[in-house]
Amino acid sequence: MNPARVSLRSVTASVAALAIALFLGGCGEDEWHGKNITGLMPELEFELIDENGDPVTEEVFAGEPVAMYFGFTHCPDICPTTLARLAAAARRLPESIGKNLQLAFVSVDPARDDPDQLERYTDAFSDRMLGLTGTQKQLRALTRRYRVTFGYEEPGADGSYEVSHSSAILVFDAELEPRLMLLDDLNVAQIAEDLERLLEGSRSDS
Amino acid sequence: MKQGKVILASAVVALVALLGGALWWVAQVAPESPLTVDNPRVRMVPGGGPMAGYMEIGNHGDSPIRLVAADSPAFGNVMIHRTVVRDGQARMEHQRDGVEIQPGDSAVFKPRDLHLMLMQPQTELEVGDTVAVVLTFEGIEPADWPIAFTVVPVTSQ
Ligand SMILES: [Cu+2]
Repeated sequence: MNPARVSLRSVTASVAALAIALFLGGCGEDEWHGKNITGLMPELEFELIDENGDPVTEEVFAGEPVAMYFGFTHCPDICPTTLARLAAAARRLPESIGKNLQLAFVSVDPARDDPDQLERYTDAFSDRMLGLTGTQKQLRALTRRYRVTFGYEEPGADGSYEVSHSSAILVFDAELEPRLMLLDDLNVAQIAEDLERLLEGSRSDS
Repeated sequence: MKQGKVILASAVVALVALLGGALWWVAQVAPESPLTVDNPRVRMVPGGGPMAGYMEIGNHGDSPIRLVAADSPAFGNVMIHRTVVRDGQARMEHQRDGVEIQPGDSAVFKPRDLHLMLMQPQTELEVGDTVAVVLTFEGIEPADWPIAFTVVPVTSQ
């Protein structure tokens, strides 16, 4: 055993790793408008209820990529803005790669968002947008899994209250692996480009 | 004879149109209002929840003005909000002190930013409807400015 050789080998390995990191950082990352989260978080898993009030799990999306947003229907500003951009981007995708993409809106405000309310809200954006919600425990389990959070603010005099929530869209591939985080400042064209690139890539991989 | 009458009638119509155009131009341009509200719109949200009101308020006077309140018979409660995104977390902040606009400046109420938070819709609204909103200011007389907002689709940005 020659210690000089070992350290030389580990130096070589570090240099190689650095070179790969620089290469990925230099060109790979930059092509996405959103954030590439491939391999950073666990695959999609949840127990929630759907727009019919029926219990559902991630199986509802099995084999299909899904773009998921956390919000609440008493959110008239950033939620409709983001959901409308996502729906418009999905419509812009070529039929061959966009047809399987599912859209999901997870309400973190189950006290006000019953299944009927969820259905009315999501139908306004796209008929392929599925509304989901659940108990506090179920919602916390899902949001914690993706390192996002939500909270409720003090109610006003009329009893209404505001909800804070994650502003990003999470995109999962057909294997339900988290792949992209689309931040709220992206426009329709940027979201469409990222979705097209991701879906095209995962299609040719399989 | 008949042709002459037609020409005369055409001339009268043209003159009236010209006069009308001139009057319209004067009304639009001449006595500049110290305050303008451009593109006032309410973005439709189905389901009976709150909707957002957007516009651009221009202060053309020579002293600051402040939007302090808004009220509408079409909604049970109206607040002035700003959406703030910090560390990936979105929330709406109530603008308790209203919104100040310096002379020559404007306040833009737009998606993911300042908005009128129009809560408890009192009637079923449809795209294309007009909604009356009274904006209340400090630093300008009169204080109350009734503005007609147009209901636009939920997908409008
Ligand atoms: Cu608001």
